[in-house]
Amino acid sequence: MWWRSASFILDRNDNESVPKPESRLLSHMAPENPNPPINKISAYYQTRAAHHAVVTSDWLAQAQAAVGPDQDAKPSDPDSSEKPPFSVIQEFNSWRKQPDLAEAVAAIRALASVIRSSEANTIAELQSELKTASDSLKSWDTTSISLTAGCDLFMRYITRTSAFEYEDFNSAKSRFLERAEKFGEISYKARKIIAMLGQDFIFNGCTILVHGFSRVVLEILKTAAESGKIFRVLCTEGRPDRTGLRFANELAKVDVPVKLLIDSAVAYSMDEVDMVFVGADGVVESGGIINMMGTYQIALVAKTMDKPVYVAAESYKFARLYPLDQKDMVPAVRAIDFGVPIPSKVEVETSARDYTPPQYLTLLFTDLGVLTPSVVSDELIQLYL
Amino acid sequence: MPDTHALVNDFLNKLKKRKIEGSKATAKLTAELLRSVISQQRLPHTNQAGALIHAIKAIGEQLTAANSVEVAVGNIVRRVLHIIREEDVSLTTASIGGLSLQGLSDDEEDNPLVSAAAAAAAARTTLRPPSLQTLLEDMPPHSAAAAAIPHSSSSAGDSEDKTKSTDKNSRSRKLKHNVIETVNELIQEIATCHEQIAEQAVEHIHQNEVILTLGSSGTVIKFLCAAKEKKRSFRVFVAEGAPRYQGHTLAKELVSRGLQTTVITDSAVFAMISRVNMVIVGAHAVMANGGVIAPVGLNMVALAAQRHAVPFVVLAGIHKLCPLYPHNPEVLLNELKSPSELLDFGELSDCMDFSTGTGPPLLHVANPAFDYVPPKLVSLFITDTGGHNPSYMYRLIADYYSADDLVLQQRPTC
Repeated sequence: MWWRSASFILDRNDNESVPKPESRLLSHMAPENPNPPINKISAYYQTRAAHHAVVTSDWLAQAQAAVGPDQDAKPSDPDSSEKPPFSVIQEFNSWRKQPDLAEAVAAIRALASVIRSSEANTIAELQSELKTASDSLKSWDTTSISLTAGCDLFMRYITRTSAFEYEDFNSAKSRFLERAEKFGEISYKARKIIAMLGQDFIFNGCTILVHGFSRVVLEILKTAAESGKIFRVLCTEGRPDRTGLRFANELAKVDVPVKLLIDSAVAYSMDEVDMVFVGADGVVESGGIINMMGTYQIALVAKTMDKPVYVAAESYKFARLYPLDQKDMVPAVRAIDFGVPIPSKVEVETSARDYTPPQYLTLLFTDLGVLTPSVVSDELIQLYL
Repeated sequence: MPDTHALVNDFLNKLKKRKIEGSKATAKLTAELLRSVISQQRLPHTNQAGALIHAIKAIGEQLTAANSVEVAVGNIVRRVLHIIREEDVSLTTASIGGLSLQGLSDDEEDNPLVSAAAAAAAARTTLRPPSLQTLLEDMPPHSAAAAAIPHSSSSAGDSEDKTKSTDKNSRSRKLKHNVIETVNELIQEIATCHEQIAEQAVEHIHQNEVILTLGSSGTVIKFLCAAKEKKRSFRVFVAEGAPRYQGHTLAKELVSRGLQTTVITDSAVFAMISRVNMVIVGAHAVMANGGVIAPVGLNMVALAAQRHAVPFVVLAGIHKLCPLYPHNPEVLLNELKSPSELLDFGELSDCMDFSTGTGPPLLHVANPAFDYVPPKLVSLFITDTGGHNPSYMYRLIADYYSADDLVLQQRPTC
């Protein structure tokens, strides 16, 4: 009865005719926007790839061509106070480049620099300045969830604490600055807390399957290895980022036996696996996670074979999103290098991440403690109400 | 003090030798022991709550080490610690409120207001488990409140020194008094948990239903009898619960109350489950993820119930709720009991004996006491506070326990 319309044919025709007028408009705005639809590369994944140092040469050429020469060569404005949105993004970029720093921490530090350079005299004025800065950061890279979540968290904190506790504006301002600086420490401590909670679940002789390169998961495994537990890890290759290779490198440094699998070999190896560990780019309201492409697949296989899936995520990654299906998010695209040229009529699925619904996850390890997926929405409600 | 030492040692011995049967009895005895410890504890003038907590934690560490499978001991220790913290916070806010009232009558009006606001904020933040709200707030609210208390008390004037010191004395007596009162309520709650749960029986058991249970549990007996008294007529299938065969005693008890009962073997559960409307069982402990530590055989019953879409209802008093997540429950939270319950020593003693024959014996007998039922197999938990989903356990835990008490081991450097 129900037959699928071949709407993809119509879509393809549309796509071919639409980009031309847009591209003319965008060339005026190109220096600010890191997501020009022409080349379709998400800034978030650019940074991750840069951190992981697995970049193919032509992808790099593409990226540089897309972003333009302005990015790094922008001189620090001597009169930065005149153009707050610009300096926020520049500040954010400079923080983001550091490999060990989380996105949310970079965002909060950028907002702290807005506070520092602000000339507001009342808290309300400061709040509105921060709101503008936070909105511009969020719209600059709409694909990064931890950026949005970090901004929201900081804005929420400002709104709540400024309401009653401080009559003195300067002490309030200095306190906000101090907390923002401390947030970097919090995020570092968060990883330690998560590592301590998560390594309890690793028992001697177990086999762990890992997908994607998450610094938190790496911390958990390192802590377990250091406390003398004996286990082995299966890493998926993680095309196209080759996260598995990087992860295997790190684990080999701490003498944990590692085995690399191609992404398609997950179901094949799943029966010898005892648990699956993944990180998260974001944790959504339903308790599901948004993570590197392939996580949903692995969670499905694990659920079928009755293996627990554990997610390690810091609490500032909780976001107020509720994806109803895989396409219900801002698309984050990542160019894929197949190594051979592809005919132009062939489309490539370039999305870099997927959504794993909460029923496939067993537990989340966060710095707020071990949580079941149903606790996430409770936490978010408490924060926002 | 020597009195409490003797009490504690006596209790430790009983725990180690497994002389106390059942989580309810263990919970009650633990609560009574902790009550006597608190009442005999000498408290310093400042930071009494801290001293109490330290003392209770030290004892709690010993108790949980004596019997790690009996999680009710740890639960009660953590409940008492939570009670101490709560009472301390409510006393602090009450005294700050009192001081600010005094302060308002003075000339300085700003300071008490600030301190009251800061203390209110501190009270709000102290007892909540770590959450997204408090992520960016850290110690400063505490230090602000702590700074505010001496500040405002010093601003209250020298003439009120005497009232201040008597205030402190009465505060210390009040803390102990409040804590002991609340612990008494806790003991009362443990004692009446069966009645509270049984009150809800009528909502769940309907006319002409068939209920399945395994082994024997005090809570289940009271639950079924309460439904019977409310004129519900239903039938009960009792799986005997090898190797202790407590199902037999349950069946006799139910028959004496006038309920139609059928006794089946554990292996017959899968065969009979299709004729059953609901499975009602007790539990040894409920873990934070909603998983259940239950007498052996119940995992099989839960799987059978899921397979045939029969609701699996677990009755558990709040004292059985453990705030820890099980990471290897089949091994860590299980105990192997004596093989004599399975095989008589007489018949097969030559197979099991080390002294005869060469090398280790070929015959081993495993008699695990508990089963772990994962949360996805449980349909409903009925506790003294009502019926809950397994995924709701975290809320009950947040109500009854503090996050700081999850690890009872004292760490030398905090």
